[in-house]
Amino acid sequence: MDMMDITLEKLDNYRWCIPRKGAMRVPGLIFSNPELIPSLKQDQSLKQVANVATLPGIIGHSLGMPDIHWGYGFPIGGVAAFDLDEGVISPGGVGYDINCGCRLMTTRLRADEIRPLIKDLVSALFKNIPCGVGSTGRIHLSKNDETKVAVQGAVWAVKNGYGDPEDLERTEDAGTMEGADPSVLSERAIKRGKDQLGTLGSGNHFLEVQVVDQVYDTGKAQAFGLWEGQITVFIHSGSRGFGYQICDDFLKEISAHMSGEDITLPDRQLACARIKSDLGRRYLAAMACAANYAWANRQILMHWVRETFLETLSVRPAELDMKLLYDVCHNIAKIESHTVCGERIQVCVHRKGATRSLPAGHKLLPEIYRDVGQPVLIPGDMGTYSYVLAGSEGAMIHSFGSTCHGAGRLLSRSQATKKAKGRFIENELKARGIFVRSRGKKTLKEEISEAYKDVSQVVEAVHGSGLACRVARLRPLGVIKG
Amino acid sequence: MKKKTPDFTVLNHTADLGIRAHGTDLRDLFENTARAMLQTMVRIRPGGKAATIRLSLDGQDLADLMVRWLGEILYLIAGEDKVVLDVEIDSITPSHLRASVEYVPFDPELHEIQCEIKAVTYHQIDVSRKNGLWQATVVFDL
Repeated sequence: MDMMDITLEKLDNYRWCIPRKGAMRVPGLIFSNPELIPSLKQDQSLKQVANVATLPGIIGHSLGMPDIHWGYGFPIGGVAAFDLDEGVISPGGVGYDINCGCRLMTTRLRADEIRPLIKDLVSALFKNIPCGVGSTGRIHLSKNDETKVAVQGAVWAVKNGYGDPEDLERTEDAGTMEGADPSVLSERAIKRGKDQLGTLGSGNHFLEVQVVDQVYDTGKAQAFGLWEGQITVFIHSGSRGFGYQICDDFLKEISAHMSGEDITLPDRQLACARIKSDLGRRYLAAMACAANYAWANRQILMHWVRETFLETLSVRPAELDMKLLYDVCHNIAKIESHTVCGERIQVCVHRKGATRSLPAGHKLLPEIYRDVGQPVLIPGDMGTYSYVLAGSEGAMIHSFGSTCHGAGRLLSRSQATKKAKGRFIENELKARGIFVRSRGKKTLKEEISEAYKDVSQVVEAVHGSGLACRVARLRPLGVIKG
Repeated sequence: MKKKTPDFTVLNHTADLGIRAHGTDLRDLFENTARAMLQTMVRIRPGGKAATIRLSLDGQDLADLMVRWLGEILYLIAGEDKVVLDVEIDSITPSHLRASVEYVPFDPELHEIQCEIKAVTYHQIDVSRKNGLWQATVVFDL
């Protein structure tokens, strides 16, 4: 399908429809707002939404979240649910970085206390948190331990002294995805996962010290433990080389398998297997291993952040009181129950650069948030705000319990680097009160704010469309990047 | 191996990195595309004990073969800490290739990863002949 064939029909100020056409089995549905819509037409993300709509067993709509942008196969910010009997699982619909996600931690510290120490704190974090291209960390797993990490996820991390049991309650899926089976993994995946546990990564992964800049909903903020002027910490990382290898292995196997399937793909990156086939089951079992690795990874990183704060600021644990607010994944496929045409059924929801968003009362929420809704974490770029929202009923009605995951890129890395030529990004951020440390020479230029959509517009679209509601805004004070 | 400067251009892609490489024949194209990926990824200073590894790969078609070929080189770097210096295609058909890959062990004093390519995607993969030249379009995940 050519971009020329993609028409957008406005349904209201927050929803646009791509009518079903040609090989599309369902229409596309884009959540956005009038300010963001023009940028969607500058890349191929809408075409990708239409392409996803051609996959067998897709239910409802092929969805685009407000941060949608050009990915490979699925758009980034794409969501699609599939019937378990007729539908398919697509590794490209999860992404290479399986369970790339983020977590937010709260503290008892005030920004005015920390500001004089931010440089020391960020420097200490930069020293203690392994990050950067291909980074290996302090943890070197035996094959036996790696198997346990793959099955237990964040539980393994807590059992081995990284954090507290109460952290697990505040993690999506309690930090462990069921169904993981390390026996389906390749030796290559095992090898790549051996030395990378407890590493941040590079590119758009980051660790940020922030201040709660504005509270929009005092009741929900209180339930989340957020207050204005509070210091928070945001971690964005995933399953590292382990997850990448798993995706790569299965994409190749599934691609080879496609010749035997009666499925025509508009893009080879959409290679897929029937969910209930042996290949589909094995991919889901491998994906769960990677998801668990990522949760263990973020749990360990959080533990080291706690230790670094205690040591650098010379505070007691009770004074710091660093608590996990929540951890969300934004590259995943899950078997979930949803209401479709009035009937409660199980479907396989792919979220590729999209976050789960569950409303108050949902049984999958931990008790502490059952009255409020799931915390939804939306990081901005390194120079701008991040946001905390609460899941809403609108997401269950319109998007299989999903919302966006970030700001969404506007520029390619080379375009961003060109735009940043001759600029000292570190100094620009410093002038705005943000102290940054980065390992990669090019990272800061590739990650400038102009490379991303306006996150406040993305969040406005999320809030306006009812996918989640704003709770608080967070402003960066210090950032570390790989 | 006689290292040649690869003929390629960088394409803009918001999620990733795209390249378009050329070759006079399939052998030249596959070597060129690999060298383009390497040049983008790693800055290499002379030094280290070089060795050669021989690869034998199958593919469904030329595009699939290209993805597997580049993916194999990427794995040597990312998974085995072998910094690939150069490649030579020994034989190639639309569904099979044999190649020799020269590498040195990774040494942070000699090797700088400039651009961390994490995966070779199938997105918009194209290997075809245009205007008398072979051309490959590949999108990498960063």
